[in-house]
Amino acid sequence: MDKLYIICVDDQREVLNALTEDLELFESHLHIEECESADEAWDVIESVDSEGDHVAVLVTDQVMPKNSGVDLLKKLREDGRFDQTRTVLLTGQATHKDTIEAINTAHLDNYIEKPWKKEALHETIKVLITKFLLAKGLDYQKLTDVIDQNTLLTNLRKTT
Amino acid sequence: MSAKLIKLIISIGIPVIILLLPVSSFGIDGLTIVEQRVIAIFFFAALFWILEPIPIYATSLVIIFLELFMISTKGFKPILTSNDPETFGNLVDYKVIMHTFASPIILLFLGGFFLAMAATKYRLDQNLARVFLKPFGENPKMVMLGIMIITAIFSMFMSNTATTAMMLSILAPVLAVFLPGDKGRIAFTLAIPFAANVGGIGTPIGTPPNAVALKYLVGDSYISFGQWMSFAVPYVVILLFVAWGVLLVFFPIKTDKIKLNIKGSWLKNRKAYIVYATFALTIILWLTDFLHGMNSYIVAMLPVAVFSALDIINKNDLKNISWDVLWLVSGGIALGLGLEGSGLAERLISVIPFDTYSPMVIILLVTVVAMMMANFMSHTATANLLLPLVAALGTSLSSLEAFGGNKMIILVVTVSCSISMALPISTPPNALAFATGGVETKHMAKSGIIVTIIGLLLNYLTMYVLNIIGFF
Repeated sequence: MDKLYIICVDDQREVLNALTEDLELFESHLHIEECESADEAWDVIESVDSEGDHVAVLVTDQVMPKNSGVDLLKKLREDGRFDQTRTVLLTGQATHKDTIEAINTAHLDNYIEKPWKKEALHETIKVLITKFLLAKGLDYQKLTDVIDQNTLLTNLRKTT
Repeated sequence: MSAKLIKLIISIGIPVIILLLPVSSFGIDGLTIVEQRVIAIFFFAALFWILEPIPIYATSLVIIFLELFMISTKGFKPILTSNDPETFGNLVDYKVIMHTFASPIILLFLGGFFLAMAATKYRLDQNLARVFLKPFGENPKMVMLGIMIITAIFSMFMSNTATTAMMLSILAPVLAVFLPGDKGRIAFTLAIPFAANVGGIGTPIGTPPNAVALKYLVGDSYISFGQWMSFAVPYVVILLFVAWGVLLVFFPIKTDKIKLNIKGSWLKNRKAYIVYATFALTIILWLTDFLHGMNSYIVAMLPVAVFSALDIINKNDLKNISWDVLWLVSGGIALGLGLEGSGLAERLISVIPFDTYSPMVIILLVTVVAMMMANFMSHTATANLLLPLVAALGTSLSSLEAFGGNKMIILVVTVSCSISMALPISTPPNALAFATGGVETKHMAKSGIIVTIIGLLLNYLTMYVLNIIGFF
């Protein structure tokens, strides 16, 4: 089966560690990649794509040296290869303007404020993974622990 | 080595060995090379559908390709020419194999899909559920019965999976208020998939195994939409009450009041009215073929034409059609064609002395095998594998006549394929209910096995009664 990735981006190492620790639940079925900058994240995204695998969810911080989170999100959105990849902006410092840009231009899926709550983060990521799998037509049957039931049921109602 | 790879090697290896053996090694007198190839294709189908190294619909498509390649009139020439046509055998017309993609049965299901899609799109399903569930009040046992009846009725016309998905999402807010330790939660969660599985038996379009059965219910064995419902609906009703009772005994409900709150209101626009009217008209036409002469296959094209012409089902909606389900059935039909067309079916019946077995034993054997297989694999794939063999038996075994003949044995096996619901993997509705996290495999297994066994016994009883009243 094609591999699925969650890519986490934050320039602060300790935040990145805490985040991936909280996403441990998903490690049974998805690969979690840690990136310390937007550029590094893009390299990882490219290599995942070249292997024929999928970036299901991108979780990024906003304020980072060089390219910001919103820059990364915009770049992702403009690229047709990743049009189904779901995005989360995880930040405590995004300005009003950044946020507007993230929603309007980068079509952000979710905004989570730091410090995040583990349960809420899990819920959000589950919904996003489910939406990604359904949009891509990938098999979700073996991933029941990491997908959101309601999202799945709503979608399955449309099947014939 | 991964499990998947081992499965692939087994599923490809055995058919290849069968293909390479000399014809004489089968010990079947007069077996032709084409027939030997059909045996190999049949083993390929069985292994791929049972072990599932690739999706089941993909197996169907490969079967069709293999038949076209190896045993059709326009197949791969180097392996299809022989000096001795006698020992080589009969090729099957390639057009006939390709026609399985658009067989009337497939189009009947397409019509059903159009109805179901339009009903969901114009919220007919949810609104009907709201109206029908009202009279069942707030007593949990009655609400559960109501949910089961509605689920069963819907799954007669919609896919069992879509019906289960709808009912589970209606039920989700109710399940959330159950107190911890109240087994009623399990009862409710299992009620929906069980009712959906049982409900599918109710009409020819209720569930794909019925489609496979229709291929063999032709000529003298023909059965109309109305005739099917006339025996299947009473069966569904009784089994539904049985399932309700079993669930209530195993998982008593402690909560004394349940309030369902289904939101929504009837759509009152032109397109919605057309959907309501077409839905009703299609069902009426299906049930009154004796008045107008159109069979169910022709009637099925009505919703297809109307909904397409009036933009009720648009280009985008077409993408939601479950082509995989249709093609899974096509592959089953093609497999049956191969067995019949090559003459293998006839030959097997003639070499195996079935006539010496009691017809009762044969019926018992095939239905139990169907039920067991369907618990572990797709119901449709089970029907695809078993029904061609059963049909060959039905048409050739004179001792079966006293029990209802071909028609009876096809129906009894088809129903046996659909009543298996002991495990999460038994059916997609079971898998969905299991995935809600509210039930464990053991809960599903102990109630599911009992419902399945009672269903099987009731199945025999139904056929017995039908035979007495001269239905066959």
